[in-house]
Amino acid sequence: MSAPILELREVEAGYGPFRALFGVSLAVGAGEAVALVGANGAGKTTLARVASGLLVPSAGSVHVDGAQIEAGVTAAWRFVRAGVMHAPEGRSVFASLTVEENLALSFQRAFGRAGLAGGLDRAYELFPRLGERRGQIAGTLSGGEQRMLSLARVLVESPRLLIADELSLGLAPMVVDQVFETLSQIRATGTALLIVEQQVGHALELCDRAAVLEHGLITWQGPSNEAGAVLESRLFESGAPH
Amino acid sequence: MTRVLEASGMSVAFAGIRALDNVSVSVAAAERVGLIGPNGAGKTTLFNCLLGILRPDAGRVLLNSVDVGGWPAHRRARAGMGRTFQRVELFADTTVREHLLIAERIRNGTGAFWKDLIGRGRPTPDEVAACDEVLELLGIAELAAKPVESLSLGQSRLVEVGRALMTGPQVLLLDEPSSGLDRDETRALATTLRSVQDTRGYAVLLVEHDVSLVADFTERTYVLDSGVLIAEGSTADVLADPAVRRAYLGSFEVT
Amino acid sequence: MILASGFFEDLFRGVLQGTPPGAVYALIALGFVLTYKTSGVFNLAFGAQAYISAAMYFKVHSVWGWPKWAALLVSVFVLAPLVGLVLERAIFRHLRTASAVSKLVVTIGLSVALPEIFNWAARFSAVAGRQITGIVPDGAGVYYDPFGIYRFNRDELAMMAVALAGTLLLAALFRFTMMGLSMRAVVESPRMTELSGVNANRVSAFAWALSSTFAGMAGVLIAPRFNSLSSGDYFTLVIIAVAAAATGLLISLPRALLGGLGLGWFIAVFNTFLPGLADDHTWLRPFQENLTPSLPFVVLFAILVLWRAVGRQREASDPLAGVDPPPPALAALERHPKLTMFTRLFGVFFVTVVGLVVWFRADVLWMSLVTKAVIIALIYLSVTVITGMGGQISLCQGTFAAIGGFTVFQMADRFNMSVLAAALIGAALAAVVGALLSLPVLRLGGVWLAIATLAFAFFFDAVMVKFSWVGGGSTALLTGTQVPRPLIGPIDFASDRAFLVLAVVALVVVSVVVIQLREGTIGRTLAALRGSEVAAASIGISAARARIVAFAVSAAIAGLGGALLAMHQQNVNYALNFAPIVALFWLVVVVALGSRTVEGAIQAGAAFALFEPLILQGELLGWIVRGEERLPEFFPLSGNWRLILFGLMAMQFARHPEGLVEHGKRRSATRINGWLEAREARA
Repeated sequence: MSAPILELREVEAGYGPFRALFGVSLAVGAGEAVALVGANGAGKTTLARVASGLLVPSAGSVHVDGAQIEAGVTAAWRFVRAGVMHAPEGRSVFASLTVEENLALSFQRAFGRAGLAGGLDRAYELFPRLGERRGQIAGTLSGGEQRMLSLARVLVESPRLLIADELSLGLAPMVVDQVFETLSQIRATGTALLIVEQQVGHALELCDRAAVLEHGLITWQGPSNEAGAVLESRLFESGAPH
Repeated sequence: MTRVLEASGMSVAFAGIRALDNVSVSVAAAERVGLIGPNGAGKTTLFNCLLGILRPDAGRVLLNSVDVGGWPAHRRARAGMGRTFQRVELFADTTVREHLLIAERIRNGTGAFWKDLIGRGRPTPDEVAACDEVLELLGIAELAAKPVESLSLGQSRLVEVGRALMTGPQVLLLDEPSSGLDRDETRALATTLRSVQDTRGYAVLLVEHDVSLVADFTERTYVLDSGVLIAEGSTADVLADPAVRRAYLGSFEVT
Repeated sequence: MILASGFFEDLFRGVLQGTPPGAVYALIALGFVLTYKTSGVFNLAFGAQAYISAAMYFKVHSVWGWPKWAALLVSVFVLAPLVGLVLERAIFRHLRTASAVSKLVVTIGLSVALPEIFNWAARFSAVAGRQITGIVPDGAGVYYDPFGIYRFNRDELAMMAVALAGTLLLAALFRFTMMGLSMRAVVESPRMTELSGVNANRVSAFAWALSSTFAGMAGVLIAPRFNSLSSGDYFTLVIIAVAAAATGLLISLPRALLGGLGLGWFIAVFNTFLPGLADDHTWLRPFQENLTPSLPFVVLFAILVLWRAVGRQREASDPLAGVDPPPPALAALERHPKLTMFTRLFGVFFVTVVGLVVWFRADVLWMSLVTKAVIIALIYLSVTVITGMGGQISLCQGTFAAIGGFTVFQMADRFNMSVLAAALIGAALAAVVGALLSLPVLRLGGVWLAIATLAFAFFFDAVMVKFSWVGGGSTALLTGTQVPRPLIGPIDFASDRAFLVLAVVALVVVSVVVIQLREGTIGRTLAALRGSEVAAASIGISAARARIVAFAVSAAIAGLGGALLAMHQQNVNYALNFAPIVALFWLVVVVALGSRTVEGAIQAGAAFALFEPLILQGELLGWIVRGEERLPEFFPLSGNWRLILFGLMAMQFARHPEGLVEHGKRRSATRINGWLEAREARA
């Protein structure tokens, strides 16, 4: 078997004095889809940040295609060029740029000047609302529209590995359905996925493997169809159904 | 029924795009009202107009039958409008109790400048007791002396609620309290809010994405779509309305 | 060209006359906008960067005698981008996510330190009397007179051409190139830019090299307009140019160009017509004399206050800011109780020892220096209130202090009033001025507030000080602004020792007041506002009211300190103590060392007043090696080292925005806490 696209080995990370991950190991192979689930504050977002190069781990190592990324170098752009893309949680758009400029920044690098128009068209096809507002400054979009914009960037590029953090947060249920629909399409084209979600239903349906994160540690990994039962017993002690 | 909060004919346009078009909502005393709608429907805009953060192009806002249309946000807060934030807004470098203490001091209005100068500006035992009572009510009494930086998101939300309660609100406006919380935390928050509401008797206007929370918590619901009210009525009726489901719910099933 | 009437001819001549200075403002404003747009830094050190290239050009061309093209190449196209790259790599890369206000403080420090570092490294000193030549052959000697009423020389034409061409080229860069888009993206969020696959470090290095080159170009082009090169002149130009840049909200290049030209035209036309009016209306005359030099600052202040979009502009925040570690809480919140007790004991011990040594051993000079340190610490407490508690930067604290000083002088001089009573009146007057000033500037946030207060300081400097009812007028020029020492009953504070006691008592009283305010309603209100303005409003806090109080209290403290300093020196000494640039310099010291706490202010006061004699003059080392004759030869060091070191301190501040004292305290607290806890665990 060839080396996984992304592998975290014994990663520890945090913010200043605050530690969020304590020795996490996780690998995502080509074409694989992994759901990372866990309670709020378990360290899911931190893990996504380490996996995309945004955050430098304080211990452990990150490997892309088997090659270790040098410690101490924040270089998210290296991850992107290796085909690992990250849609961060929240309203991650450039508020002072227009919708079109937001997309162009990414697409021009990925598709070149010639492919730019095609990329934009696909984004607007995916989210017609963005097409209507292409000249608008992104900061004046509503929260949900900003979310669409940051998703459009990664969904159109179909990278080798897509890391998506809390996709559904702040999106209307209908749009969430549509986003997961798109995800399963790009999955079919061979893109590997690492989905970080709190609303686990959709994510488990889409993925074939799941990892449960509790208090900064991965406590369970396995096929996603078994994850539901595990979550029931492990995460939600009150036993409420999900 | 007396109306605590009544907004009528609210219209707002940004750069030619209608964000709100002749929207009217009202909240009666001790009532729990939901406000839902798809992304970009104008929920946040309406919320900001009610709170005085944004001036509508047209429309009136009445708080206890007083027209507060020209009042800035802080004056509306003193007149009985409490709120929480979608992205938690706490005061850095202070403890949980200090959050409530400053709100209490502003409410009782005893913080004259000369008192500070002669060292009489520190919290009084009465104020501390009032704050601790609210912390107790919310079940976070043991967090009183903690710096807010050390709290979890769920705890931070409760601190926000506590801070809003100290202002003695007649209506509490909650801005997506479930965002960032998992379902159990959301449920726990709803339970706490309701039990506190029973003792304190304020009305609630809840803006939410989490439809199950709205279904669970509210009695009446308004639905906004593209700046227009498309439905209002009892929550169960509204969520069953086919028009609402088409615009908003998509494949969501109400159980 | 024949014009119909004298009025229009005067007007047209005024406009032509205003075009060259307008082009100067436009050049600087363009560079300023370029830096802001590509790095997000409100770069007050832009003038220092311009100065370095101008000085280098002068050195290479006029001193070494190299040809002009070589001098231009070395100074503008080699040195300037190099300076930009070094600044980016060493400082601003680490500051990308810092608040705009802390970046501003760093650039203030740089604007002090960079010219000094250059002058020292290049052994450069501005040579007065030697003609500064521009890059154009015979630039000052050949004239063109297109309209028959005003002559432009070649240097001026070159400047205007570069300003126009620069606007077009830079606008094209932002509009049509990927680099332009990337630079704007990096300013907003370097991390998100990286997530788009763009190397943010490379983009921002390019941005700094580009804007620094522009600064160098502007510096060299403008140089022939000065009689001698001084970094202060360049700094003042930058402040004026901010007015032009502000009209385009710091992001529009064409507006910066038009704003600069417009400013030049306005001033020239104003100066054309005012003398005639003043001849007819004699009451205008004092204004004419005083207003002319201050006009740019009046315009700047008016634009900031009246241009509504400026107040509405908010900093775009990085949506991925959460990746950075949160700012840690104040050390005092985390300290082990034993450590707190130990620090207090040590503090009391240290102060007692220093007090005893000064009391029994110090000579007149040292007594005076220590007194000065105490008074400066008191003035610094005003910064603790406005910046530490209120979270806002005011750059006119020196002006408030001057108001206190001048009040004492005037009251004592005219009414023979007791100076202590006059000091209280001075403090009250400063409070009133502070409150009034805060009214229009309050809706401006962060950096704009800082610039508006700086404009006020320059305005006070240019106009108010010259009035006889403020600065004493022409009599004060001859005899100085004499201020007597106070006298309470039998105690005559003319004795330096007694006055030191008075100063210490004042410092203690003000410290206690500041602590009371911090613990009281106003302090907690300000803490809430600092934490979150919307949340503060949601519990009924009126931001405007709280901030007016903070401004007034801070101004009163500064005014009291200024009054004491005047009594101490028995003279107001405006230019040495309170002038805007001097005051900026001392502000950097306190903000860098720690504006959050009372200790921070006291330590900064000591550092400011005692650093030069203790360290640079070699007093401390001399005491350690027992004997001045054993000091190494390079002592005493030049006072300029102080400027360089304080500039470096400002850069350090960038990494520790809570202040160096606070940073050091926290670091040691963490260590000792760990040790104490481990010991307790064992026990």
